[in-house]
Amino acid sequence: MMLSWVTAGSKPDLKPLPYPVIGSLNGVHMFGANHDANLVSTTTEHTKLVWRVYHDSITLIVISVDQRASDSQLQRFLDNVFNSMVLLLGLDELITIKNVERLKRDLRSCYRLIDCLMESSEMYGDVTGCVDVIVCQEQLILQDYLDSFVNSADSTFGCLLVSGKVAVATTKWWDLTGQEMYLLSLLARVLPPGSSKDIPVYLPHGSPNVPHRLLNFQILQGVEVCVLCGPTPSLTEVETELLDRYWRPSMESLRSCLRINLRGFPSNITVHIGVLGLIIMNVDLHKCLGTVHPLSSEESQKQGKSLSIARRRDILRSFYQSVTGTVFPPTPGTTPPEVVENGHGDGLASESPVEPHTEFVHSALDTYVIGEDHKCYATREGPYQIYVLFSKDVPKYALRSISMTTLSSLTKDKLF
Amino acid sequence: MSATVTSLVSPGALISPEWHKTPEGREYLAGILRRNRRRIFGLLERPSLSPQQEPEMVSYKIYLAGKSGVGKTATVAKLAGIEVPPTHQETPGIQTTVLYWPAKLVQREKVIMFKLHFWDAGEQALKKFDHILPACKDKVDAVLFLFSFTDRSSFDDLPHLMSRVVESSESILRLVVGTKYDQTLHNEVPTRDIREFEHRWKVPVLMIRNVDGPRTPDGKALDGRAGIMEVAQFLNSICEHLWRHDQIAAGIYRPPDYTGEPKISFI
Repeated sequence: MMLSWVTAGSKPDLKPLPYPVIGSLNGVHMFGANHDANLVSTTTEHTKLVWRVYHDSITLIVISVDQRASDSQLQRFLDNVFNSMVLLLGLDELITIKNVERLKRDLRSCYRLIDCLMESSEMYGDVTGCVDVIVCQEQLILQDYLDSFVNSADSTFGCLLVSGKVAVATTKWWDLTGQEMYLLSLLARVLPPGSSKDIPVYLPHGSPNVPHRLLNFQILQGVEVCVLCGPTPSLTEVETELLDRYWRPSMESLRSCLRINLRGFPSNITVHIGVLGLIIMNVDLHKCLGTVHPLSSEESQKQGKSLSIARRRDILRSFYQSVTGTVFPPTPGTTPPEVVENGHGDGLASESPVEPHTEFVHSALDTYVIGEDHKCYATREGPYQIYVLFSKDVPKYALRSISMTTLSSLTKDKLF
Repeated sequence: MSATVTSLVSPGALISPEWHKTPEGREYLAGILRRNRRRIFGLLERPSLSPQQEPEMVSYKIYLAGKSGVGKTATVAKLAGIEVPPTHQETPGIQTTVLYWPAKLVQREKVIMFKLHFWDAGEQALKKFDHILPACKDKVDAVLFLFSFTDRSSFDDLPHLMSRVVESSESILRLVVGTKYDQTLHNEVPTRDIREFEHRWKVPVLMIRNVDGPRTPDGKALDGRAGIMEVAQFLNSICEHLWRHDQIAAGIYRPPDYTGEPKISFI
């Protein structure tokens, strides 16, 4: 078993942990393992810690100063961290560690990605296990352009990212797992701005040991097209021979799509003025759309002084995390804790986690929370789930109808 | 005479050095700025200039070579007007950046738009995947070999690096760039060693400091014009060498035998 720690946090007020502390955190976990106990988590006066072992090789420990964070949230975070490492290094290198120094050096390329996982952003895929998307009216026409382009590059996996979120993608791309799609979008987001990229990636679920090349082209500022390829075609080939031919005619549609930006859906879909933010998910297709700017700019001004953007994001995320796994079914793709083998080589059966939502006698479809300065409502219908953040002025009796109306206006026309 | 020809160009011999400060120059620079921020161009975008201004566009592919941490990504960021990453982040594969640079030729009084396509690859990725170096070298016009003034071994390794990347038979322009020269307290490479290197290897040495320039008043971005002024001399130098290299290849210019004082260009 090997301990690998990364001081990749960018929070200025958090000091890096002294080495002896890290040593004892690992030590207590190993002590447990030697006595047939799997140390999963603990809470101290100010922090929460979670341990996770991957493939008997890498132990990840997360220390959170946010005590509200649940075990499953932190486990999901560690999953994302581990899969980021797989994405850039390949599973083999993480399981069979031949040279620790070399691994530490190689892990440096993951720091940016892991840093981003720890920051709050416009993306919600880290908690929803889905990929962040936007919905635009030009979807059908852009789908055509994308499909032809990807096909001409001898591939079947491709997507178009507008402001970092997926606008359209090929059928095979949607077959990737939610986490894979999320991490690939995140990777495109964290790399420095540039014109084109050719990055070897290992799909954590689909191809953890065989690399593919992720080609990324910035067509316009804010619009990127990604293609997953094998050894051919070369970056230059695609850039010089295919890009202009297939995308030049689409410029107007792309510019139009860019205007959606932070809102995430077209202006012809209106949302009630009391809505401060929302997350809508299509669980079957692993897509989510999250926004804290649901109104057009004139309407936002009418909304007047309300919660700050950072606070809206925070509340939405906490609301989502408090509802899934408790009242609603858990987030798709949550992997159970790894089995820890004791010294005799017998696997210990890990107890399957009690699923609180199954303890209810009915299957909850709606739930809500009233806070001091806000209200939240969540509802689900078929593959869709919606989580809405309201200003405190919206009366309780209206929460459900507004949420249902918002859900149907976003899901009609099969755009989402 | 070896097939790799040096084209040590005195600054200002081919490209007007102060042109960017003239009214005409500033008009062309407006094409690569947007609200005083340096514009990042998508691959299907071009500098916005009026039809009368449309200059001839000349493209060059430039590959940056050097060991991990020497400053390849930082150099490209500095030249393109992007924020220089504060800490070293290993580049996971190949990253390319296109930048546009308008410049005025001295002889013909003509404005040329240089389209410089920089290719940057992480050293770990280069070693692990064998498609990366050939992709970077394919149809490359120039290679910048980077060393850091604060790391003597990166300077000493230059001849080895150069021979590893470029065969002596290839007529690719070779330039050496020294980064972090501003860190005088940690400087491990004295100027006389630089001159000796230029004299011995017949490769010009340029210098750059990859430190963010001034920001806009609201602090949200880098001041575009100020950033341009900081890199103008360096970009002019690169373009002059590229232009001269093209002239030699076309037979328009024959380099004299190398004598005389080496010229070091720096910002």
